[in-house]
Amino acid sequence: MSDGVRLAQEASSRDPAVGLRAVRALRELAERLEALQVSNAREQGWSWQEIAVCLGVSRQAVHKKHGAGRRILKKER
Amino acid sequence: MFERFTDGARKVVKDAQEEARSRGDRAIGTEHLLFALTRDDGPAGEALRDSGLFRGAAGDAVAALPDPSGLDGEALRLLGIDLDAVREAAEDAFGPGALDAPSGSRRNRSPKGHIPFKPESKKALELSLRQALNLKHGYIGSGHILLGLLQDRRFRAARALSGAGMDLEALRADVIRRIPPKAA
Repeated sequence: MSDGVRLAQEASSRDPAVGLRAVRALRELAERLEALQVSNAREQGWSWQEIAVCLGVSRQAVHKKHGAGRRILKKER
Repeated sequence: MFERFTDGARKVVKDAQEEARSRGDRAIGTEHLLFALTRDDGPAGEALRDSGLFRGAAGDAVAALPDPSGLDGEALRLLGIDLDAVREAAEDAFGPGALDAPSGSRRNRSPKGHIPFKPESKKALELSLRQALNLKHGYIGSGHILLGLLQDRRFRAARALSGAGMDLEALRADVIRRIPPKAA
């Protein structure tokens, strides 16, 4: 069975516990990868606007989520 | 509390810090204490090794625990996503531990200097003191540290051991039997 078929089965599982857990796992993984890629893009000199376009969100949204304020706080910790 | 520690117990704490550092972990957890105990020369190390738990087995047991950082490898596998493969690709591109921290993940890749205790391992060390007092031992040795780790089933070390099929009660009894009433 292909991964795509299994994905469809799990994501649409009739058992909410299974389906919701799968969704949560995917979301968490996506968050990690997003943080990694955004910080890499910033280090390579990408603007927030450019990153936002690629992610399909507003510049404000991506800046609020990954912006300087958060980063400084984290570094000081 | 540390003034009552024997040299062996101090070595366990120091080795646990080295375990955390070499794995790139930012704090000392109960699993790092467990790793250090597998190499201990005292009663704790003897009891663990006698029950078959060497350093490698302890590492496997901890690795089998659910990811504390919240990535659900099992659920992802059901979806056909191989978390290990994703992690490997991320680490190839961005270095060890790239996928571990939710954000700002490039910092502190290999921590230098002082590595703090996690609340869980602090609690375990406090419990080791209590174990020593209960046993009317005037000191804290490696055996007491192991007893502290076994005291709370929610500790990562305890969960790893039971996950590996160890009988925690039997291990506890065994290590108590081996602890000398007085520090060597």
